[in-house]
Amino acid sequence: MISRLMLLLLALATSLGAQTTPPFGIRTKTPDLKAYSNARIVVSPTQTIPSGTLVVRDGRIVDVGAHVQIPAGAVIVDLKGKTIYPGFVDPYTQYGLPEVERQMRQSDRRPQYEAVRTGADSWNDANHADKIWVNQFTPDAAKAAELLRLGITAVQSAKFDGIFRGRSYVTLLDTGLTNELILKPQSMHFASFNKGSSEQQYPTSLMGSIALIRQSFLDADWYRKAHAAYRLNPNQRMPEVNLPIAALGQIGNESIMFETDDELSLLRAAKLSTELRVPFVHVGSGHEYEVAKEIAATGQTVILTVNYPRAPEVKTAEDELDVNLADLRYWEQAPSNATMLEQEKVRFAFTTYRLKETRDYLKNIRQAIRRGLSEQTALAALTTVPAQICGLASEIGTLERGKLANFIVCDTNIFVEHARVFATAVKGRIREFVPVEQVDFRGEYSLHLAGKDLFLSLKGAIDTIKGELKLADKKTDLESVVATRDELTFSAKLDSFGIPGITRFSVHRDADQLVGMASLPDLQRHALVATRTGPFVPTPDTSAHERAEAVMVSKVTFPNKGYGVTELPPVANVLIKNATVWTSESEGILSETDVLVQNGKIAKVGKGLTATGATVIDGTDKHVTAGVIDEHSHIAISGDVNEGTMVTTPETRIGDVLNPDDINIYRAMTAGVTTLQLLHGSANPIGAQAQIVKPRWGASAEGLKFANTTPSVKMALGENVKQSNWGAQYTVRYPQSRMGVETILKDVFQAAREYESDWKAYNALGAKEKERTIPPRRDLNLEATLEIVSDRTRIHCHSYVYTEILMLMRLAEEFGFTVQTFTHVTEGYKVADELKAHGASASSIVDWWAYKFEVYDAIPGNMCIMNNRGVVTSINSDSPELGRRLAHEAAKSVMYCGMSPEDAIKMVTINPAIQLKIDDRVGSIKAGKDGDLVIWNGDPLSIYSKPEMTFIDGRIYFDINTDLKARVAIQVEKAALVQKALSSGVRESRRRWREGYKPLDREWECEDIFDYWKEQNEYHATH
Amino acid sequence: MRHIRHLLMLVVLLVSTGAAHDYIPGAKQSAPILLKGGTLYTVSGGVLPNTDLLFDNGRITQIAPTITPPNGAEVIDVTGQYVYPGMINGQTQIGLVEVGSVRGSNDNNEIGRNNADLRAWVAYNPDSEIIPTVRSNGVLTCLVVPGGALLQGRSSLMNLDGWTREDAAEKPVVALHMTWPAVAIVDAWWMEKSAEEQKKDMDENRAAIGRLFEDARAYWLAKQADPRIKIDSRWEAMLPIFTRELPVIIYADDYRQIDEAVAFSKKHGFRMILSGGKEAWKASELLKLNDIPVVVAPTTSLPMRHDDDYDLAYRIPGLIAKAGLKFCFGTFDSWSARNLPFQAGNACAYGLDKETALRAITLSPAEIFGVEKDLGSLDVGKKATLIVSKGDILDPLTHGVTLAFIEGRKVDLDNKHKELYRKYDAKHTEIPGK
Repeated sequence: MISRLMLLLLALATSLGAQTTPPFGIRTKTPDLKAYSNARIVVSPTQTIPSGTLVVRDGRIVDVGAHVQIPAGAVIVDLKGKTIYPGFVDPYTQYGLPEVERQMRQSDRRPQYEAVRTGADSWNDANHADKIWVNQFTPDAAKAAELLRLGITAVQSAKFDGIFRGRSYVTLLDTGLTNELILKPQSMHFASFNKGSSEQQYPTSLMGSIALIRQSFLDADWYRKAHAAYRLNPNQRMPEVNLPIAALGQIGNESIMFETDDELSLLRAAKLSTELRVPFVHVGSGHEYEVAKEIAATGQTVILTVNYPRAPEVKTAEDELDVNLADLRYWEQAPSNATMLEQEKVRFAFTTYRLKETRDYLKNIRQAIRRGLSEQTALAALTTVPAQICGLASEIGTLERGKLANFIVCDTNIFVEHARVFATAVKGRIREFVPVEQVDFRGEYSLHLAGKDLFLSLKGAIDTIKGELKLADKKTDLESVVATRDELTFSAKLDSFGIPGITRFSVHRDADQLVGMASLPDLQRHALVATRTGPFVPTPDTSAHERAEAVMVSKVTFPNKGYGVTELPPVANVLIKNATVWTSESEGILSETDVLVQNGKIAKVGKGLTATGATVIDGTDKHVTAGVIDEHSHIAISGDVNEGTMVTTPETRIGDVLNPDDINIYRAMTAGVTTLQLLHGSANPIGAQAQIVKPRWGASAEGLKFANTTPSVKMALGENVKQSNWGAQYTVRYPQSRMGVETILKDVFQAAREYESDWKAYNALGAKEKERTIPPRRDLNLEATLEIVSDRTRIHCHSYVYTEILMLMRLAEEFGFTVQTFTHVTEGYKVADELKAHGASASSIVDWWAYKFEVYDAIPGNMCIMNNRGVVTSINSDSPELGRRLAHEAAKSVMYCGMSPEDAIKMVTINPAIQLKIDDRVGSIKAGKDGDLVIWNGDPLSIYSKPEMTFIDGRIYFDINTDLKARVAIQVEKAALVQKALSSGVRESRRRWREGYKPLDREWECEDIFDYWKEQNEYHATH
Repeated sequence: MRHIRHLLMLVVLLVSTGAAHDYIPGAKQSAPILLKGGTLYTVSGGVLPNTDLLFDNGRITQIAPTITPPNGAEVIDVTGQYVYPGMINGQTQIGLVEVGSVRGSNDNNEIGRNNADLRAWVAYNPDSEIIPTVRSNGVLTCLVVPGGALLQGRSSLMNLDGWTREDAAEKPVVALHMTWPAVAIVDAWWMEKSAEEQKKDMDENRAAIGRLFEDARAYWLAKQADPRIKIDSRWEAMLPIFTRELPVIIYADDYRQIDEAVAFSKKHGFRMILSGGKEAWKASELLKLNDIPVVVAPTTSLPMRHDDDYDLAYRIPGLIAKAGLKFCFGTFDSWSARNLPFQAGNACAYGLDKETALRAITLSPAEIFGVEKDLGSLDVGKKATLIVSKGDILDPLTHGVTLAFIEGRKVDLDNKHKELYRKYDAKHTEIPGK
């Protein structure tokens, strides 16, 4: 029970709340005290009052309960039969802000490498962290009305543009003075990986965005320290003023609202959040269920869209060719997203964001409930969770005493199919969509008219009634039915009842009767009393789609697509007997030999082995090799392979953007590939930090990683880095010549050394001095460069022409480090002795040539000359297709230049292992090494042979017979889904993006130079 | 920036005019040559171990277990080696493309939708450095096909040893080439056009093809009525398709494209050959019914569709062979033309028998291109266009061409790659240890 004192204080607070705006005309002093009584009140997700009263004074809830003493003077609104819910909150909108202007790309424009600088802004045009969006807020009456109809009373808003998007605000959805609507002028920062409208090149890739975010937080830290030191000691170089960076420094422990476009990027963002120690709330894509367990493990909150796709187009067998299993699954599974996350106990809120039609919001949430989502969680996701996210849990989100009077009046449980939102109140100001005291005329009635006993049936929605009149077995539909708050009028053509012409009716409801008038065709008016004989029973929605929904015919796998798995293969205990074993060791090729694989490792190699409990595989006529290793691959990478914008980008990391969903992982393991080095493309002299992976199909991004490897980095020389083949507009970035490549590399190596000495000098200072000295800025680019110069990160350098190969070796020698591997190195044969003397290894493509000028001297004998001179030589693919045939490619060295088969197989096993510095663990068949093996049906070098089984970590990841079963399973599941789609009667769609379908995987090439973000944004704008 | 590997280059390097290989074309056969004791892969008549083969004046004159060398004959002992007909590559751009990214060295593409009047051999460069690297692998004849959109032009069948296009031409005009418009909706972020726009484009392209052939037919009809009508070079080039003298090779991979293309060929009454054909196996009944052969695109490619079997591309030749279709292999490129036998070999690991594989790079393409009287098998009367290999040519492990003859002319098997190999194998740089 609320104390009288409190009530008094509240009343004082509001009446004394004279605000700054001077009145124009007569002052308004209408009392605002209402009691909504007899309603079922859902106070919060966990508390419901079956019948009670809600008292509202001056926009605030002053009392709520089953037995409330209604204050004197209150206007009482009888809500018998109605349910009151707390007003919903949408935490992710652009409400009240102008649309983002997007400039469409012009292909002949020169690339813009530097930012357009205005004011004290960031070097990067995608950083708007200093934006305070409330400054541009204008209420949008039409949009507010649309949201209010859905029960949404408050929203958090900022413009969805850029990586750091600035501070949002929280506002009520009402009209009136903006100043009185804003609940929180400076709410969360919004952010994403997408650079949005920025025309600046960097970043053009997902890995670039991640690197930029990392660096920006370091910059923010430096900025604070630098200015602090400068204040203490102005006798040093003045630090710059940079408002976006300063704004990032002020985030502290606040959460950032982080939007991603797919569930893998959500996990990437979650990982980044942990790394930066900045909490994120994630705005999802609708695919979260595919990684529900992983999201649960992060413990972070997700904002869920309830955009569900229309079925993929399968009307004809021809259309269906463009539809894959993943699409069909998404269509079936998307409405279960929230349900699956609830099962994993992920905390989430709902948003209208991404909905094709905002009006489908509640409809789609109800669909989630039919899929098993609890009403309690659904309500929390609409109220308390978003209120907490916005930091306004004490103001909004429940109907507890003291909170703002934001509520919804609904005719029944809001989560059932036919429920209607009658009204939504914001700060007590109620907006009716259906009069809250609307009389419900619906039901079955009997009446007497012109000597006949008629039956009247009224159904439909409460304010849009349909109905019919019956006389024995004859019936006629009602026309022109209009239900106002308390009067119902309609007409009917009663010819078949023996009353020719149109009769008009006007009735009121009086207890269980309808009382009124009928005006017969002859204009005779007859008093009318219709007696209620039965209630209105809503007809359940029994569309084919709803029925079909009950039975799910698809599976959720990882990846959630064709060939996906539900679990990783178990650790095998296998004895391969009597095979020809290509050891890639000094033992060479052993005939009739056994290999025992246990506990993930190669346990024994020898003749006549036995092992208890081991499954025996007959290796007669089979050949066994170590797993194939590819030094140069671009599979399993998301969001572009090149951040080829700045001249050097070693701050970017392939390991940040692994894509465990790439079908080429599956295809690699079918080809006996067990390790791949994933490299950045070749668009700039220093690219990203590389990532070595094993193609463990079904593992997460982190699960793909080859643990504890020596860091490596991609470098590149030649035509690509000097942009020779990119078109005439690409002539503004240094370097444009091989001379320039050397010079700029020298410059960055030198800078890295100087960076090191700057830090040494700073670190040598005493604590007091440090405080007064501006520290060197932590620069992830130079730090990564320093790792190269210090020989701790190993170089894999894309190169063709021998002059550039020689150049890099000499430059490295000048700085005292070694080039680990020249990759492609098509003219390595011209400098084989020099390579050997430097200590570089070589990884080449075999017989590709003449596709560009710098490979005009590539020869297929390259490998032999280098191998003969003692250079560790391997063969790489640079292609998901060729990557499946590396052993066949190795055989070409047997053909073209007489290499021994033993050496040829080493070029795809132990030699690349040496180059990746993992030869102590993989690359040969030797007891103690990882159980990475391939069983071939013949000589592995022969064109007639193929892999039958691939072991990774002693697990059978590929078995040719299991694959056959998977093919059948795909067909069966697809067939069932296509049938379901065909019989569902729902409309089909080809607009993949808007429907939330995943983008197609792209097979990246070294030379791809997309602006990934611009492409994304244009696609989103036009599709 | 979109995928721009093939965009215009700033610097135009005139490589093709600067590059000419140094290998002198073989002289016309002046004396009979007897290959003694080889294992003959005749293709037409099985494998003949320990059999002699005699050719004279550029033609095979005798095949027998033992042949007495005629007077003045050169006798070459090929005991233990395999003799094959020269391999025929069913589609290449050899002689038209020297260095892919160097615009000035490329003569494969013309602008516009209708280039029926182009002929590949006009630009074919017998001096291309690529040619010797291809023939030294035993690929002696290539169909050279113009690129471009829609109606690309007419292909020429060229042998890979000649001074001029006249020497090198086996058949100056083989077929009219056309690319069937795309049918698959690609709704991906790198695709600029929406699904609706793509559908519209597809319909427009189909209509455009229809109009082209209707106009060509109108010209053909008018020409029959009055041979003196003004000459339109494009329609003129298309005349022989209506009399079925000139086949039309249509590039199509997707089942729907193939289906549409076949219907189109029937409607307009021309002889169709399918090229590409990744989903030909899905349309095999239709192709068989209409007697349409297939030039199979490189099978060393990724599966077309996400859910496809990982080895589907490799299995295509086996699948269409099983369906009874006639087919040959093509490499569809310039420098990679030398990998033709390995395309065939690879298919053998995935369901194709070796005999059919060999036929698909020899006699089948000869039949498809109408030169089976001269090429494609070891038969008396055919041209002595043949190779000798130390082992099975389909597998790089055993492949090793030791001799090659084109119409009896001895082909120089040296090439730029072997020369560079020799040069740098001889380079020894003493470098003091680091």
